[in-house]
Amino acid sequence: MTRVRVEGIVKRFGDTPAIEGVSLDVRPGELFTLVGPSGCGKTTLLRIIAGLLEQDAGSVLFNEDQMDDVPSYLRNIGVVFQNYAIFPHLTVGENIAYGLKARRVPPDRITTKVAEAARLVQLEGLLDRMPAQLSGGQQQRVVLARALVIEPRLLLMDEPLSNLDAKLRVQIRSLIRALQRTLQITTIYVTHDQEEALAISDTIAVMDRGRILQVGKPWELYLRPATRFVADFIGTMNVLHGKVEGPGRGFGALTVVTDFGERWQVRAAGSPGQPISLGIRPESLQLLPGTNAVEAWNSLKGTVTEVVYLGAVVRYQVKVSENLLVTAEIHNPDFSAICGVGDGLTLWFATARAIPMPGETGPA
Amino acid sequence: MARKRRDFWWSVTLLAFLTVLAFLVYPLATVLVTSFTGEEKRFVLAENYSRFFSHRYYYSSVVNSLYLSALATLGALVVGTTLAFAVARYPLPGKTFLRTAANLALLSPPFIGAYSWVVLFGRMGLVNRALSTFGWSLPTIYGWRGILLVFVVQYFPFVFLLTSAALRSVDQSVEDAALSLGSPPRRTFRTAILPIIAPSLTAGALLTFMATMADFGTPMIIGEGLHTLPTLMYGEFINELGGNPAMASTLGSLLILVNTAALMAQRYYAFRKAYNVVCIQPLTVRRTPARRRLALTVFAYGVVCVALIPSTTILISSFMPTRGPVMYAGFSLQSYQTIFHVIPRAITNTFFLTALAVVLDVLLGVLVAYLLARRRSRAHALLDALIMLAYAIPGTVVGVGLIVVYNRPPIILTGTWIILLVSYFIRHLPYPVRSCTAMLQQIDIRVEEASVSLGVPPFRTFLKVTIPLMFPAILSGAALAWMTTIGELSSSILLYSGPWATMSVAIFTEVFSNHFGTASALASILIVAAFIPLFLTYRVLGERAALGM
Repeated sequence: MTRVRVEGIVKRFGDTPAIEGVSLDVRPGELFTLVGPSGCGKTTLLRIIAGLLEQDAGSVLFNEDQMDDVPSYLRNIGVVFQNYAIFPHLTVGENIAYGLKARRVPPDRITTKVAEAARLVQLEGLLDRMPAQLSGGQQQRVVLARALVIEPRLLLMDEPLSNLDAKLRVQIRSLIRALQRTLQITTIYVTHDQEEALAISDTIAVMDRGRILQVGKPWELYLRPATRFVADFIGTMNVLHGKVEGPGRGFGALTVVTDFGERWQVRAAGSPGQPISLGIRPESLQLLPGTNAVEAWNSLKGTVTEVVYLGAVVRYQVKVSENLLVTAEIHNPDFSAICGVGDGLTLWFATARAIPMPGETGPA
Repeated sequence: MARKRRDFWWSVTLLAFLTVLAFLVYPLATVLVTSFTGEEKRFVLAENYSRFFSHRYYYSSVVNSLYLSALATLGALVVGTTLAFAVARYPLPGKTFLRTAANLALLSPPFIGAYSWVVLFGRMGLVNRALSTFGWSLPTIYGWRGILLVFVVQYFPFVFLLTSAALRSVDQSVEDAALSLGSPPRRTFRTAILPIIAPSLTAGALLTFMATMADFGTPMIIGEGLHTLPTLMYGEFINELGGNPAMASTLGSLLILVNTAALMAQRYYAFRKAYNVVCIQPLTVRRTPARRRLALTVFAYGVVCVALIPSTTILISSFMPTRGPVMYAGFSLQSYQTIFHVIPRAITNTFFLTALAVVLDVLLGVLVAYLLARRRSRAHALLDALIMLAYAIPGTVVGVGLIVVYNRPPIILTGTWIILLVSYFIRHLPYPVRSCTAMLQQIDIRVEEASVSLGVPPFRTFLKVTIPLMFPAILSGAALAWMTTIGELSSSILLYSGPWATMSVAIFTEVFSNHFGTASALASILIVAAFIPLFLTYRVLGERAALGM
């Protein structure tokens, strides 16, 4: 199993910086995801790790081996590309065998290994087909088998699911995850889809504008986002502003007065008078119909401006003050939880569900 | 850490530059410089040019050339686009036949077309002699009318093919959208469809304009004393009373100027007006009133039949008994027997030189195309432009340039077969370069990266993945280069010497010595030979791929 270390990578395209000093440590055998909006540098970083692109500064290490001067074809990696990059002039079998032939594996070994790889990705019986005769999902399986059959030190995947429809995406996603677990192959996975990242990864690194913002387990990023960007990119986050009033009830709690006049108990640190920003996930908000239902701690009142009813969830946009809209998601809503546009309602949340948002000093 | 390695591709770049500089840029520059050279090798700014523009004998050639090319371009555009629209949008019978016939019309070089019209309608022509038995006669085919006829018949198929391809790339939804927004059909055509196909129309117009400007054989054969720039340039250079290289170079420089300007104008226009269109459902065939359908059918078949007349005439007349320029009814192999006895060298020369030039074109063309498509840099953009120049410069100019440069030490090529090879090679290099570059832009670079990541080094990836994927483009580039090289006359006539006459040169001299039978037999062999690779490419790839569209 390979540990991958990326140290201080810098890459520019002309005058445009693409990656500005990125360091990473990918543990052996884990599935490590680079997630970020398009243009954040995640694919560039992947291509540098693959050796398809040369960095301007910094190093890439596989275990203790410096890879910077090793050309791509000697790095022993498997790469799965966004649009398959299948060899259209070769059959499925020849596609899978391609890397083995390059390694001068004896023909009989190639036959057994190709058959084995085809079985892993459920492509038995299609080895003589040409790629044009395959569906998108099957092509992606070919490319996966082609990358895995060479037993690479490292598997690199660049948006491997983006050309598939929603149903296939989930199917192939589970296949990739299952194979990766069984083969215990260190994998670096690039996607712009935060849901995909949460579903598939052991570790996620969120990137924006050529920098890594946060690295952690999926739930760490979701529950304790380090920045506003991470909070917004992984899921949705309501950010509310206020001032610390004084110590709250219980250890480590503060009393906060919000800009719209509510008094809350939250778990945070701060001294009286200091401004504070709090993040609350839409699904952390609970609903009480009517605006004067309960005068409780940690509540906010407002008027519904938009309702999206999805069966399992009902999503509200609630206008709390002139320039503050809050999103609330009520799960498993009963008749009593259905409101219409223009209705007043009260939302509340548990003390532990408000996340202090660093680097946020006032209304955005 | 960015390293610039002097790798294989660096050597290819160097080789390509050296080739283009030695065989194109240097000869052309020499022509330009010579046009500013007076007696005793002095530099003169305008002596040659002022002489040119003050003698009607000289300047009329520019007027003639521009006038003929402009009219020919207009004619080819009108006929070609009308035919393309008729075939694409109206329910005509036998569309496959129409398309095939238009393709076939491309095969014979224009000077053979000119000759065939002389065979039919010339003074001793078959039609004229038949009519004269009834005491009738037709207006003369010689002069500018004949040239124009040959040009339009020769070049409308290019416009037709380019326009057809462009029309196939217009999605029906574009028209539907315009119509649904309340735009009437005529306005829809003008505002929604025409702008999308305009770059292809201008490409066809450019091709016609440049080719007719450059054409040497047609005005020589059918022009009867009407001078165009290339014929006058040839006459000035190969003058029995001692050539006048300075005046020939002045004419050549004007040709370079006109064609390069036309090329740049079209490039500039097409670059700004090219749209990326995604076509799922091409434009559909319209329901048409019977009368219009009949009119279009008559037009389409009429045009295509006229286009087939030259090659048909040549093939048939090659089997007729002849005496001088006069042909008689009947069947005879006399003409073929004559050529195999008297001038067999011309045939073997042509096949040898053409094959060798095409092989070299493909070898260098494939590598250069890879550079242009995959390793684009400023140097490669320049290389691209220089290679396109080869496409624009008339053969007469290249021929004169090569003679002037390579008839003195250190390198003497004049009088050898190598100088013919050089001219063929450099002038037809654009075909494989174009077709392969276009193909490479369709091939996802990640396919090559996938191969590299699987452990195959870049150059072996090029051989194992890129070349097989480029194969259709290589084939069609080679077929087009072959087709255009085998009938090349304008530089051959200047560069051949002694035993190295080619078939085109032999046809030309046979026509001028009034040996019409042998000319027809040679021309028939030439047309069939030009056809075979293109036919095979069609069979392998299908029509569209074969023409690189």
